Amino acid sequence: MSRLRWQLAWWLIRAQFLTRRTATALAMLAIALGVALGYAIHLINAAALADFSQAMKSVQGEPDAVLAAKDNAARVPLALINEIARDPAVAIVAPVIETRVRVDHAAGHTADQAAIHPGAPVKLIGLDIFSAAAVMPGLLPRQDGGSIFEDGVHASPALLARLQLKVGAGVTLTRGAARWRTRIVGELPAARPGDLLLVADIAWVQARFGPPDAVSEGRLRLMPGTRPASWRESWSGRLPAGLTLRAAADDTQRVSNISRAYRVNLNVLALVALLTGAFLVFATQLTAVAQRSTQFALLGVLGLSPRMRLLQVLFEGLAIGVPGAALGLALGYGLALAFTRVMGGDLGGGFFSGSTPVIAASLLPSLGFFALGCAASLAGALYPAWLNRVQPLAQALKTGFAQRPPAVHGLRQRPRRTLLIAIVLLALAALGLTRLPALYELPLAGYGAIALVLVLGIAAAPLVTQIVFGAFARRALSAPQRVAVQNIVQAPLMAQVAASGLIVSFALTVSMVTMVSSFRLAVDQWLDTVLPAPLYVRSKGMPLPQELLAALDQPAAPFARIERTAHGALSLDPQRPAVVLLVREMRRADAAARLPFSGPVVAVAADRVVVWISEAMQELYRLAPGQTLRLPLLGREVDTVIGGVWRDYSRQFGAVVIAAADYLALGGHFEVSDLALWPRRGEEAAAKAWLAAHAAGYGLDIAESSEIRALSLSIFDKSFAVTYALEAAAMLIGLFGLAVTLAASVWLRARELATLSALGFDRAMLTRAVMFEGALIAGIGLGIGLACGIAIGAILTHVVNPQAFHWRMELTIPWLQVLLGAALTLAAGVIASRFAARLATRLPAAQVLASAQ
Amino acid sequence: MLTISHLSKRHPNAARAVFDELAFAVAAGEIVALVGESGVGKSTLLNCIAGLEPADRGAILIGREAQDIVRLDESARAALRAASIGFVFQAFHVLPTLTVAQNIAVPLLLSGVAPGEHQARIEALLARVGLAGFAQRWPPSLSGGELQRVAIARALVHRPALILADEPTGNLDPRTADEVLALLLERVREEHASALIVTHSQHVAQRCDRILTLTPEGLA
Ligand SMILES: Nc1ncnc2c1ncn2[C@@H]1O[C@H](COP(=O)(O)OP(=O)(O)O)[C@@H](O)[C@H]1O
Ligand SMILES: [Mg+2]
Repeated sequence: MSRLRWQLAWWLIRAQFLTRRTATALAMLAIALGVALGYAIHLINAAALADFSQAMKSVQGEPDAVLAAKDNAARVPLALINEIARDPAVAIVAPVIETRVRVDHAAGHTADQAAIHPGAPVKLIGLDIFSAAAVMPGLLPRQDGGSIFEDGVHASPALLARLQLKVGAGVTLTRGAARWRTRIVGELPAARPGDLLLVADIAWVQARFGPPDAVSEGRLRLMPGTRPASWRESWSGRLPAGLTLRAAADDTQRVSNISRAYRVNLNVLALVALLTGAFLVFATQLTAVAQRSTQFALLGVLGLSPRMRLLQVLFEGLAIGVPGAALGLALGYGLALAFTRVMGGDLGGGFFSGSTPVIAASLLPSLGFFALGCAASLAGALYPAWLNRVQPLAQALKTGFAQRPPAVHGLRQRPRRTLLIAIVLLALAALGLTRLPALYELPLAGYGAIALVLVLGIAAAPLVTQIVFGAFARRALSAPQRVAVQNIVQAPLMAQVAASGLIVSFALTVSMVTMVSSFRLAVDQWLDTVLPAPLYVRSKGMPLPQELLAALDQPAAPFARIERTAHGALSLDPQRPAVVLLVREMRRADAAARLPFSGPVVAVAADRVVVWISEAMQELYRLAPGQTLRLPLLGREVDTVIGGVWRDYSRQFGAVVIAAADYLALGGHFEVSDLALWPRRGEEAAAKAWLAAHAAGYGLDIAESSEIRALSLSIFDKSFAVTYALEAAAMLIGLFGLAVTLAASVWLRARELATLSALGFDRAMLTRAVMFEGALIAGIGLGIGLACGIAIGAILTHVVNPQAFHWRMELTIPWLQVLLGAALTLAAGVIASRFAARLATRLPAAQVLASAQ
Repeated sequence: MLTISHLSKRHPNAARAVFDELAFAVAAGEIVALVGESGVGKSTLLNCIAGLEPADRGAILIGREAQDIVRLDESARAALRAASIGFVFQAFHVLPTLTVAQNIAVPLLLSGVAPGEHQARIEALLARVGLAGFAQRWPPSLSGGELQRVAIARALVHRPALILADEPTGNLDPRTADEVLALLLERVREEHASALIVTHSQHVAQRCDRILTLTPEGLA
């Protein structure tokens, strides 16, 4: 294209922007929002993952393989470590013991209590200095004199700062009944700024906390030239049951998998925002083309080619999209920066808490998101551009915009029947998609079904409009109503666009409200079953202090009933997050009273070990009640029977419950970390005081069930706050689309309306006509939107949630909220059409009639 | 400059043809008036000549190269219009969002006239149509007569071989109409262009070189 053509294109774009500022700015903003959201999610996640793999590197080094137990309560025997070390392909094996301990120190209790929760658990790593130097240099203590550990622990700078301690301070490390009084003898200079770590010689840690002849992990370096994958393969058959050899890369993969479904969900929301942007571009460009049809026809007469008439509208779309996408990148970067500052890298999902990732924009993804924004705006401009290209010039000059493009190969011969068939096919396709299983563990088919339902709603709009107006046309109508009905009949495209905007926005809103309220009700009911006791005590990630447990056993403790729980982690698949093992004090017969079973409970023979698995575990590992499940417990494979599947909204990657008695019988060590407490009748206050006194100084969570319940629901509500904001934005965009298209359709008929007013049709009647038109369109849009919304809500609750998060629940439609929302939107739609009417009626009739344009 | 032969046109779904086997020519530099009753097909004929509506049969040869616009595809028709045709409408059709100068510049941009020439040409032409000093004005602030002068300047600015005018003074009061028409004829003669002017005014027709009358039976 020549410079001269560009000049003309630029003049037209500028004129367009100057005459339609609001519409253009809003479309631009919507595109920006979509790009910003997607880009921010990408940046935060990329940063969090980079941060995580950095952290892994500094703590774990970069081993070629890691030998570990599948059950985190189990250990790797030293004999096996030694055997592997003798393999000629192995360069070095670094044995490691990892545990969590409570740190108490003389200074901390009296000084600043806020610095660190007294007794908060800290990771203690025991390692062998010689092998660690080769595999995990990031954990080495400062090496001044010798390279041998003194009797003491080394602390990371961050931990020292948190504890407000200096090297040389005395500390007491406690885990369960084991206790080690020692000294901080040095720093860990290579530790990363945020790491809270203690490192000591493996022998010392083993002597105090660990089993004498085993370690947590062996981290291996292989000889140069050995292929890690095939080496791991060659050993995996020879390993004792309950142990695995995993690649270091599995850890990063696993972490990425943790937030994958959540991320995809957020990305779908970003996509929705982008699509609304595309819709706004569509609505503004369509009305812009309609309003300028005579101008474009004139340009055609002057020699603007059809191709250029098409390109011009696409350019105008791009002129919205390019600045919108650029703004979106800036906005997304800012959003990611602000978000990580405030919340860390976990996207609000609670997955990577404690990390402070660094946001870094890289070129390729940035370009990708920029292109996405431009593509959305181009997509929105596509149909208007085509319509502009095919406008018949002579006719457009004479009578303005042709709403119906010229017939294409008789496609429009039987619009009603074609539409009906298309709608039925779409519905069947959507239904089919909801039956499909997850793809790549993502509910892609479900998202596809949602998109189809939206398309279906839009496709149904002309049919419903025909039916509604057919019915209206047979009735006796007042003059304004007659004018309104006629307007829609004559300008069906505009009415359809306005209705489509409302259909999509209302459908999305209804579906989210339906999904969230179904979910909330389900969580509410679920909390009833999972919180049977009035009081709960919990320590994070380590056993409860022995003193407290001993005191609870005394008859003086004011509790009628105590149920203890221990936590473990079972790694069933190295690429998946571990399954939570819950060892609970309960009898088999009580299972139904303690666990919210979602299906049948199977009676299991007394000599078999029974476990109850969560729905997430059932789905992730494709299990069924009654089935035998081989679990890696306590360093060996144990055959258990699945006694039932229970609902769990908190552990997304699966949980398995085993009775404490069974676990003890298997030789397990019951390290209690949670307590459910029933105070004696009438001693509720005393019980709380007793607990407060006995738990002081250990950094334990003590909560009443009502508090936990309120907290859970408030976390729930907060995590859906973004959704509500998006719904509100969607509704505004839908209403804006209605206002823009109504105004345009009134504007297009300004001459007719002016003729009417010359014939004695007064302004008030005209306004009423337009408002009636708006109400009709809004009514149709909301009606179809409601139907689609409920369908999408059902897909979200029954397909997307179970497939993405393994959350199952009943569908509950909050009719009051939904209908109230519809009424409000209808009212807003009528108000919006009042504005449109004012726009049109303000044109002085004489002038409109005089100007032939 | 314009040669029409065997031209037939019937609107889709219309009962009878607007015209059939039409033939006439306009010589270089000739100004021809086209008269006829309302609805007889004058606008349709002009639209066919400009390639805005397709003709059913026949040939319309335009310009020095005598290209047949009936046989050209849509883009080639647009290109031919940009190069060889100037159109003046009854309803002015001046782009309201471009200035007067920009409106007149559009054909220059579309026909690829060197940018260096634009300003001089536009200003000279504005002066010739009596709108000196109007270059930066916006169309909504102009009167009907002034708008039609802008349209005339726009039809002439790229020096087309053929000017088509469809009732160019139909929307103007008689005095202004006279002035504008005189201007149009004067400018067309000055540029040595050919012109086909549809008019209802006997007065206008008489000032042209020749008068063609379109009747339902054909040219008379
Ligand atoms: N797009 C169209 N479709 C069908 N008939 C048309 C169309 N445009 C014009 N006509 C008919 O063609 C005839 C000629 O119209 P027109 O060329 O506008 O007449 P004139 O300009 O001589 O007044 C009229 O009878 C008119 O009704
Ligand atoms: Mg006419």
